[in-house]
Amino acid sequence: MSVAMSPLNKTAEPVSWNFKLLAQDDLGGFGGMGEGMSLQIAKDGRRVIWLAHESAPKNFTAVDVSDPRKPKVLVQTDLPKPYMRSNSLELSGDIMAVAYQTQKVGQQPAGLELFDVSIPEKPRSIAFFDCSGPHSRGVHQLWFCDGEYVHMASGAADFEPSHPLDDQFYRCIDVRNPSKPVEAGRWWMPGTRKGETPLPRHRLDKGYRAHNTNVYKQRKDRLYLCYIDGGMFIMDIADKSKPKPVSHWTNSPPYTGFMHTAVPLFDRGLLIVTDESTENNAEDWPKLVWIVDARDESNLVSIATCPLPPVDAYARRGGRFGAHNIHENPPVPTAWQSDQIVIGTFFNGGLRAYDISNPYQPKEVATFVPPPPKGTPAGAVQLNDVFVDERGIVYTVDRHTGGLYTLEMDF
Amino acid sequence: MNSPFPSRTAGPFGRRLKRERGARLPVMVITGFLGSGKTTLIKRFLGTAEGQGTAVVINEFGTTGVDDLLVRPSADETILLGNGCLCCITRSDLQQTLRRMLFEHERGELPDFRRVVIETSGLADPSPILLTFATDRALGDMFHVEALVTVVDAVTGSDTLAWSAEARKQAILADRLIITKTDIAGEGAISALTERLHVLNPNAELLEAVNGEIDPSRLSQPAPQHRNVFLAEAEHSDDIGSFVLTEERPLPWPVFARTMDTLMQLRGPDLLRVKGFLNVKDCNGPVLVQFVQHLAHPPVELEDWPDESRQSRLVFITRNVSERQVRELLAAIRNVA
Repeated sequence: MSVAMSPLNKTAEPVSWNFKLLAQDDLGGFGGMGEGMSLQIAKDGRRVIWLAHESAPKNFTAVDVSDPRKPKVLVQTDLPKPYMRSNSLELSGDIMAVAYQTQKVGQQPAGLELFDVSIPEKPRSIAFFDCSGPHSRGVHQLWFCDGEYVHMASGAADFEPSHPLDDQFYRCIDVRNPSKPVEAGRWWMPGTRKGETPLPRHRLDKGYRAHNTNVYKQRKDRLYLCYIDGGMFIMDIADKSKPKPVSHWTNSPPYTGFMHTAVPLFDRGLLIVTDESTENNAEDWPKLVWIVDARDESNLVSIATCPLPPVDAYARRGGRFGAHNIHENPPVPTAWQSDQIVIGTFFNGGLRAYDISNPYQPKEVATFVPPPPKGTPAGAVQLNDVFVDERGIVYTVDRHTGGLYTLEMDF
Repeated sequence: MNSPFPSRTAGPFGRRLKRERGARLPVMVITGFLGSGKTTLIKRFLGTAEGQGTAVVINEFGTTGVDDLLVRPSADETILLGNGCLCCITRSDLQQTLRRMLFEHERGELPDFRRVVIETSGLADPSPILLTFATDRALGDMFHVEALVTVVDAVTGSDTLAWSAEARKQAILADRLIITKTDIAGEGAISALTERLHVLNPNAELLEAVNGEIDPSRLSQPAPQHRNVFLAEAEHSDDIGSFVLTEERPLPWPVFARTMDTLMQLRGPDLLRVKGFLNVKDCNGPVLVQFVQHLAHPPVELEDWPDESRQSRLVFITRNVSERQVRELLAAIRNVA
C-alpha cells in the first residue's frame, strides 16, 4: 500500500471518541467560563443556555442553542466591579440566581442576585441579597432548582472564620418571595468559626469551605454538601433552620483535599463525588471522581474511582489535569438524568464519560480532548464544567478562552 | 446479574445500548485470497469521507511466505496516511499491536482514529482473529468486530473456492461477501460465483465492487442481521454448515445460557461462529449474543427492538452440529428448567 509518510506527532493529539463535536463558540472573545450552566426553554420555545463566566469583566452569557450546531449569543452582561466574579448560576423557570464573589474580604457587592429572564435578551434584576462583610468574599457557588430555596456556599457579615480560607459556609436562602430573599438556615463545619478549636490544615491548604450544595426533589430533606478540604457531608435539612450532619466522608489526607461535588444516585444507593484539581502541571494529582456506596447513608464507603489517562501524558500539556465538575442530574425538566453514565470535565484531560453500570468497575466510554483554544494562556484546553440537556446534547466550557462546545453522545 | 446497586434504567446485562458495539471501536476484518482485491478496496475506502479516521492494520502474522523470511524482525511500524488514517503493518501479535494503538491513543500520541480495518494475509483463516477479540479482555472491551468481509475475485473465485478449503472457510464465516473484478469477468463466471457463494453462505450480504468501488457506507455499516428472512440450511462444505435457529416465545436466560454452556463444553471447537439476537424473558430490548468456538462474548441488551417482530434469531456456523441437535438440546433443557 503506498502511503504518504510523515512523522507522527507524539504528544497532545486531540481526541474525539464517541463524542461528536457539533459547534464551538468563543462567545465574542469572552470564552473564559466558570461553573454555572443552566438551560431554559423560553416562552417562545427557544432553548437558551445560561453560562457563568470564570472571572470579570463578564457576568453571564445567554446562548440560543435551539440548534446546537449553530449557537447564537443572545446577551452578555458585565460585572459592575473588576474584582468581582460570578462563577456560578442556576435557573428555575424564568428566575435566575447568580453568585457574586469578590477577590478580597470586605469588598462589595458580594452576594446573590436574582433575575427575571423571561425575556432572555433583557434580564431584569429582581433582588440582591447582600453577603458582604469584613470577613466575607460573598458567594462562590449556588444551587437553585425548586424555585423556592437557594442553597449556597457563602460568607456573611456576621461570620468570622477561624482561618481566612474558611470564610464560606452553607447558607439556605428562602426566595419564595423572590423580591425579598431571607436566610432560612445555615451550617458551618465545626472548627471553622473563630473561637472554635481550629481544624488541622492540609498540605495544599485550600480551606475548609463549602462548595457544592446539592438538593434533589427525591430527598428534599437531604443536602449533599462538599466542603473542600473538609470532605463531604450528607446533611439533614428537614428543618432548614437547623441543618444537621447525617454522615461525613473524606479522602484527605492522604489525598490533597478540595472535595467539590457530590451527586446522589437515589435508586442505586450510590454517590458520585468529585475533587477539583487546582494546581498546574498535575502537582495535586490524582484528582479523581469517586464512586461511593451510600446504601447506608450513615456509613459511606468508597468503592471505585473513574480511570484517568496516564498522568505523564497530560501533566505537562499546560494548566490543570484532573477532575472538576460532572453533570449533576439537576432536578429540572431540561436536564438529562442518568444513573448509568457519569460525564465530567478534567481540565486538559478534556471531557470524559464513564459507564458505571457496574459501579465497582467504571469504564470510560467517550472522550473529547479538543486542541488548545485560540489565545489560551494555559497552552491546553481547560474544560471546566459540563451540562447535558434532556435531549442528550452535551454542553461543556473552557476555563480561559474556548467558550462553549456543543456535542452529541455517540455510545 | 444480582447487583447491590440496581437501577430502573438498566437491564440484567447492564446498561442498555443504542447499538450492538456500544462504545467500542468498530473493527472490520477483511479477508480474501491474494489478488482478490482487498488492498484496492481498502485504499478506495480510505479515500472517501466515510473512510476518514480509519486505522488499517495489515496483519501478516501467521504467514511464512518467502517475503517474510527476507524481512528482518522489527518493531511494528505505524505510518500516517492521508485523510486522517493510520496504517500499521504488524508482523508480531495482532493483540499487542491493537493494545499498543489503544495505549498510544489514550496518551494522545497517535492521531485520533474511529475505526479499525484489519487486512489479513491471503491464506489466513479468520477464526483466530475472531477468537482474539473474544479472548482478550482488553480488546473485547474496547473493540467490536462489526463485520467480517471476504473479498472474492470474480475471475478466479470459483476455481479458488473449488480447490481451497481456506477460501471456503473465509466465505462461510463472512458477514459480507464482496465480489471484485466483475468488469473483467464474464457474465457466466459472475453468476456461477454468486450462486456458489449463496450456497456456501446464505446469511451474508453479497455486494459487487468494480475497480474497488463500492458505496463506502455499505462497507462501514454493521453487517445486517437479515431479520425475518427465511434462510435455508446452507450446503455442507468441509463438514461446515450453517443454519438459523428461530424462536417465537421469549427465552428464559438460564435456559439459553445452559444450552450454550453444554454445547460449548461438548462441541466447542465445532461452533465456528454463533451470532444473533434473543428475546429474553424480562428484557426490554433484544439481547445480542455471540460465540466463537468455546468462548462467549458478554451479552448486550439494546434499548429497543428495531421493528415489530419479537422473534429470537441465531445464526449458527458449525462443523457437524445440526440444527436438530441444537433444537433438541434447547427443548430438553427448557423442559427440565
